Amino acid sequence: MASLTNRPELLKDGKRLDGRAFNELRPIKIEAGILKNADGSAYLEWGNNKVLAAIYGPKEAVPKHFADPAKAIIKCRYSMAPFSGLSDHGRSGPNRRATEISKVTKEVFENVVMLNEFPGGEIDIFIEILQSDGGTRAAGITAASVALANAGIHMRDIVYAVSAGRIGEHVVLDVNMIEDNYSDADMPMAISPRNGDVLLLQMDGGFTREQLNEAMGMVLEAGKTISRVQREALEKLYEVGE
Amino acid sequence: MREILFPGDVISDRPIRMPNATIANGVTIATTLAMKESGKDHIVPLTGPWVPKAGDPVIGIVSATRGNMSEVDLSFFGRGLILYSKDSRDSKFLPGAAVEATVKNVENRKDVILAFPTPLDGGIIVNVKPTKVPRIIGKANTMIDQISKLTRCKIAVGRNGMIWLDGGNVALAIAAIMKVEREAHTHGLTDRIREMLEKGFIE
Repeated sequence: MASLTNRPELLKDGKRLDGRAFNELRPIKIEAGILKNADGSAYLEWGNNKVLAAIYGPKEAVPKHFADPAKAIIKCRYSMAPFSGLSDHGRSGPNRRATEISKVTKEVFENVVMLNEFPGGEIDIFIEILQSDGGTRAAGITAASVALANAGIHMRDIVYAVSAGRIGEHVVLDVNMIEDNYSDADMPMAISPRNGDVLLLQMDGGFTREQLNEAMGMVLEAGKTISRVQREALEKLYEVGE
Repeated sequence: MREILFPGDVISDRPIRMPNATIANGVTIATTLAMKESGKDHIVPLTGPWVPKAGDPVIGIVSATRGNMSEVDLSFFGRGLILYSKDSRDSKFLPGAAVEATVKNVENRKDVILAFPTPLDGGIIVNVKPTKVPRIIGKANTMIDQISKLTRCKIAVGRNGMIWLDGGNVALAIAAIMKVEREAHTHGLTDRIREMLEKGFIE
């Protein structure tokens, strides 16, 4: 959250600045398998966010002392391109924020990837934010999940992530950059849709218990749309011709 | 009727042990993108790394020879191993040599012990996705026999996704193999490949 002293009006005529309803997602488009060199890849456009995710592996873990003889390890690198955003929202390079997001993303996927299939192996996840407009960690997780499925890495589910926020008394879904900066709360969540497991929940600001329930309901409802887009992206690769 | 399964989709309401699947809460779920014929419990993975099994024919490149063993690069996260017996008089493979071998057994999912290694002289090796290898071979070898016959190419296919080719029209054979890899999930592929090979036209 940025300074509240020069906070802009986030709601106009009961609607959000970009005209969305409180529980409305930005438009999502995903394309899978677009990088030839990677084992799996995905390109995602989520509103003004543009994200590229690539998967390499499973391969031999390096350096050797990182290798776990019982299971594979996951390495994740989230990075914002230098040209990705406005000056006040993130900056490029391995800074504190990128390191944190890499860590939480890695932990999301450690819960769904079948690591014991590849003992001593390593799976690399690269997430590159080409253009950012708020909610990039959610966008990164959603894209990386499609890329992992595209790479054929064994996993229990295709994870999606989306953030919820609060503007005054209103709970809103999928906050964009200006809402992210000036809203009263924002909460990115990653969910495993098969059983509704919450794999990531971070919160900046605060919700009441009722507002939290409402936010979680919105996230689960939006997940149906996001999962459908993820599946369509993968299905498109294997359309039966003729 | 074929349907595409995604990781997490239910294959069967009963717990069944099978490759590319896992059991969760008493039901069998897919762990990879896979194709399923309706009414059957069997799935065919559409993508993913090679999981070595005893008896798989493989092709690899020797990466190091030391003591009584050679390490073989099988383009896989583990390693292939050729073990020489102590009193063997067979010459050892030198690094860089291409070999064809059969998987004898797999230790700890990643050390692949190889049997019957034979050198492959000359030729070139191409890499394809390991899940597409069964389609490249075809039912009762129909696809690979057809490619080999019409291009007069010697071809050896490894289950690890490495394919060795020598002699004949190698460029056309590679183009045909790449086409099979791209279109493995479609119907009437054998006929389309024959047409392509007879025309001798590389798309």
